[in-house]
Amino acid sequence: MRSIVYYVREFLRPEWLKKFFFVKTAPLVTPPYFKGYPTRTEKECTGCFTCMMICPAPDAIAVLRRKEQWEPEVYPGHCIRCGLCVEACPEGVLSSGRVLELAGRDATAFWHSYHLEVDESLCMRCGNCCVACPINRQIDPRLAATGTSTSDDVIMRVKGGRVQILHEEKCTGCKTCETQCPSGAMRVARMVEGVQFLDEVGS
Amino acid sequence: MKKTVDVSIPLGPMHPCWKEPVRLKCETAGERVLHTEVELGYMKKGIERIMRGRPWQEVMFLAERVCGICSVVHNMVFIETMEEISDIAVPPRAAYLRVVANELDRIASHLIANFSYCYTIEHETLAMYLLNTRERVLDNLERITGSRINTAYMIPGGVRFDLLPEDAAVMLADLAKVEDELKRYVRIFETGPLIGLRSKGIGFMSREDAIRAHTVGPTARASGVEDCDLRLRHPTYQALDFKQITRTEGDNFARVMVRFQEVFQSIDLIRKCVDTLPDGPIRGGGLCRAGEASYAGEAPRGELTYTIKTDEYGRVVDIAIRTPSIMNIEACAHYMVVDATSIADVTSTFISSDPCIACNER
Repeated sequence: MRSIVYYVREFLRPEWLKKFFFVKTAPLVTPPYFKGYPTRTEKECTGCFTCMMICPAPDAIAVLRRKEQWEPEVYPGHCIRCGLCVEACPEGVLSSGRVLELAGRDATAFWHSYHLEVDESLCMRCGNCCVACPINRQIDPRLAATGTSTSDDVIMRVKGGRVQILHEEKCTGCKTCETQCPSGAMRVARMVEGVQFLDEVGS
Repeated sequence: MKKTVDVSIPLGPMHPCWKEPVRLKCETAGERVLHTEVELGYMKKGIERIMRGRPWQEVMFLAERVCGICSVVHNMVFIETMEEISDIAVPPRAAYLRVVANELDRIASHLIANFSYCYTIEHETLAMYLLNTRERVLDNLERITGSRINTAYMIPGGVRFDLLPEDAAVMLADLAKVEDELKRYVRIFETGPLIGLRSKGIGFMSREDAIRAHTVGPTARASGVEDCDLRLRHPTYQALDFKQITRTEGDNFARVMVRFQEVFQSIDLIRKCVDTLPDGPIRGGGLCRAGEASYAGEAPRGELTYTIKTDEYGRVVDIAIRTPSIMNIEACAHYMVVDATSIADVTSTFISSDPCIACNER
């Protein structure tokens, strides 16, 4: 008897009756706080590769040179919609949900530095890493196909039958050398730190 | 006396009651279950192997993909282990915001566990009510973190986003609705005769057996094991005056009720956090360095341990994850379902221990 009373009471609740008689399909509207795929804003990309550096998913974002300007391209099949690229970009080129707005409001950012390592036992001295590095090519456009260069300003070059790391500080951590290395000898250590500029927050 | 096995009944690996694939091999005499064996290994992801050699910002995302139901706590425990290795301090505001996200995740996890239980005992109305309520909680998790499941909210030295006052107000209003709804559902569950017959006294595990089987989380607490909630040792929870919930019945009903009570407790903890949220930064900075540490946190299902070794550039050299469900599943097979009066009670008893196969097989 008690259970019947329970069920009758359940079915006669005004809230349930209202939902039953005036049923409405929930609107398919994406809420503004949802982190979607990163999209471009009006700002111009400077080609610093910070978004590629921070991205945790392999091949989800690439910064490409198109018509004399840099352009970050997101591959939705690989992107996991974490929003780290939006937060890390110093220029505010990318946007996703409220991530850009909140990062600007809280003055949050990611500080980063890099370290390059070559495993001598695996390295084949093919020079792919030196040629593939976009910064290397910017510094020395005449970089040979074997990775040799006469310039001392490049990040790395092949000299004396081995890969020399010359200017680690110029590395932007885009990991192109690591992905292009056929034997997995190249490693880029990316040290990232989440920081907040307290003066701008006012606390 | 020699036991006579009538028939061996396999439950699973695909079963309508189970969220994930696992196989229970029950040896029965009539309707009585004599012996049960658990067979895992249907969805091994090899996630620990993938984690090795990667920097923390990549492993952070892999860690929360270990489990889709308690993803926030995986993120939190991994980050807290990295902080312990590298001596990174967390600002108080960030520590409180972590608790808010973690407790929202705990509510969502407990609600889906109780949904599964109600669905297994074929009380679909209550199950759907609980799932509907869970949506409201997930909406709030999304409002704070930007994502419903894989939130990636915490980073070493803080959290990613601040809690906006308008979001906090909406969240508290929503949690008040969740609390009202849940009070009604708990009353239905506690006093409904159907549920009582299918739950009370079924799947009994004594306190001694729970300790012997090393059960953790709500499964242990429902059998009256004291001091088995790691939140008691977490500094932020200690500041919030946290006390663990324990019941003594040790049956399916107690396990579900512990989860319901913990949901109410979590709502109270979130309210306390929002009310006493300290001002200040949400990120303290700090680089991850070389070291090795083992750190345990309280996941919705129990103790979750990460053992991590890192190199001088903050890359994860080695990692081992110990998730809570494996002991609860073993305890279920050895103590809860043995001598079950009916084979139909095996599924509900198994679900009452809230098994998470994704966590176990990672």
